Amino acid sequence: MNGGPALGASDKLTFLLALVPFLMDHDRISVTDVAAHFGVSPDRVRDAVNLIAVSGIPGETRQYLHGDLFDIHWDEFETNDLIVLTHLVAIDDSPRFSAREAAALIAGLQYLSSLPENADVDAIASLMAKLTRSASAAPSQVAVSGTDARSSIAVVQAAVRGGVQIEFDYLNARGENELRRVDPWRIQSVDRDWYLRGWCHLREAARTFRLDRMSDLHVTDVPTNPRSADAVPTETLFEGSASDQDVTVELPTSAVPLLADYAPYGAPGAHGDRVRRTLKVAHYHGLKRLVTGLAGVVEVVDPAEARAVVREWAAAGVARYDESEPTDAGE
Amino acid sequence: MPSTIEKNSRVSVEERLFSLVLALIATEVGLTKADILSTVQGYRQRYLPGGDNASLERQFERDKDDIRELGIPLEVVEPPDDPGSNHHLRYRIPKGLYELPVDVTFSPDELMLLKLAATVWREGSLSAESRRAMTKLHALGIDSSDPVLGYSPSLRVREASFEPLSKAMDRGQVVAFLYLKPGEAAARRRQVEPRAMVLHDGRWHLFGTDQDAAATRTYLLSRIVGPVVTVPGASFVAHGDGQGQEALRELEALWTANIAVIAARPGSDAAVRLSKRVAPGEIRTNADASALHLNFTDLNVFADELAGYGPEVLVHSPAALRTAVRSRLITVRDAHTDFDLNAHPDTTTAADE
Repeated sequence: MNGGPALGASDKLTFLLALVPFLMDHDRISVTDVAAHFGVSPDRVRDAVNLIAVSGIPGETRQYLHGDLFDIHWDEFETNDLIVLTHLVAIDDSPRFSAREAAALIAGLQYLSSLPENADVDAIASLMAKLTRSASAAPSQVAVSGTDARSSIAVVQAAVRGGVQIEFDYLNARGENELRRVDPWRIQSVDRDWYLRGWCHLREAARTFRLDRMSDLHVTDVPTNPRSADAVPTETLFEGSASDQDVTVELPTSAVPLLADYAPYGAPGAHGDRVRRTLKVAHYHGLKRLVTGLAGVVEVVDPAEARAVVREWAAAGVARYDESEPTDAGE
Repeated sequence: MPSTIEKNSRVSVEERLFSLVLALIATEVGLTKADILSTVQGYRQRYLPGGDNASLERQFERDKDDIRELGIPLEVVEPPDDPGSNHHLRYRIPKGLYELPVDVTFSPDELMLLKLAATVWREGSLSAESRRAMTKLHALGIDSSDPVLGYSPSLRVREASFEPLSKAMDRGQVVAFLYLKPGEAAARRRQVEPRAMVLHDGRWHLFGTDQDAAATRTYLLSRIVGPVVTVPGASFVAHGDGQGQEALRELEALWTANIAVIAARPGSDAAVRLSKRVAPGEIRTNADASALHLNFTDLNVFADELAGYGPEVLVHSPAALRTAVRSRLITVRDAHTDFDLNAHPDTTTAADE
């Protein structure tokens, strides 16, 4: 298997059921053409054909006799890597979608329809109706609301297309603001957040930027460096940092899943239904925001320095309310 | 056994399932369980005539479920002369319901759009479902160009609860789970009829009927903190189409109706990030972010988020949100205060670099 997710029996069965009608419509087709059409490896096609060719129905005799099985032109297959179905059994059309398969595509379409480039609402609506009719049961109730397509997305996108550099003030996750000049390579959304992957001329390295941390974004007329385009990494959007620090927090056992992103591991010292976990954090700038955003749930216990940072952060926040409303003295 | 294909007893799972589907499509009247176990490839090799086939029967039950999961309409037919008899139930797959309707066709452009829709799902169960749907579409032999888009949109379902919830929803099963409601410190068990799964404002929600409250509720999947279990014997009748759209409409309506006015400290994370979220069409009279108008869906979720910004944000209104943020900040301050007064305020600056 060349990369890709591990395939379960469900995927393999689906492929077999889809391959048969496709092969029926193509009198003789090469293994590589089939592989390209389905986006799978040639070996997977060969395995499937080998299985189809010896499969069939029990038949009148219940003995899987020759006439009850699919058959192929074996010489063509083994010598020329060509598939020629010579005998068919039972099926001749593609299966319907399951309720969940139709729902996954419909929800994907809902999301696409909110993106600036896919304004053809009518085409999408008719496609959704077709999917609904092509499912064996009413599609599962999965719905997706649009993303808010902000103007910065369009600006960056135009720069990617035009192959020109962009410039913006970037407030990084540590709270530092710097002017960046970037060769934009790829713009990507993950859930409701948008990211730009590109070559940062300030750092002279590939970097990922969050669009919502950019200010004063503008397009320059300087073309992007063609050399840097080779450096487009495959899929990685984020990189870990070597300078992470350990921080121990205490929280209710049931709240541990809320910290899953920080890969917490066990730490001793809690009591009752509370537990302690140690997290790797890149900097306290992020930690104090995380903990304050989980008020009453997560408490930092160690190191004392981290506790103090969180306390000062929250206290400074409280102070703003006390200043702004001197008459409201009661807590 | 005088069969043309004599194989050893190791038949792969996909071969057994494929053979089962073929056999059930080929039969008009249906096959009994005994027929299937004794004759179908993958079962027959393990079948003991007149013996105990309990484990093989369980295998068949699981295979039936797996096949149905793929959208294949595996029917059970009661014999007309012997209704209610479990022994003579017959199984079949009606071809007309198995095949894609003949009048449904997809143009190359539509196929391209569907490919794009399938790539929206980055990981998890919806991406596996999309992949299988695309395999079925490829069977139609339509050629399409690869989708061209200046960016790659992607959605994820990271919450482990999505899979069991959507399965229970499709099967009309009542579920129970521990829910840590935003704004509360302890999780509580909820028993719910799942009606829709909705992604709104970047968060996955479960829309359902809370059986204890006997009312419609919306839950954040990220706040389901324990395993989702089905309640034995508890099922419900599907509420019909449009549940997902109804849930979205409710969330949109809340989002539109809830407007907070906040001040963000210029140049801060809060100012830079929250100002991007100002509602489209909103006239920003204050470029310095001193009075941002922001929509929100849930007061407690938004209060958590705003509290995270600490002194960078001051909520002006509504009063309930202001109080919620302030009390969160007080809670955090007090929880991190050591009353033996060993605090070192000057460490703050050093650690903040």
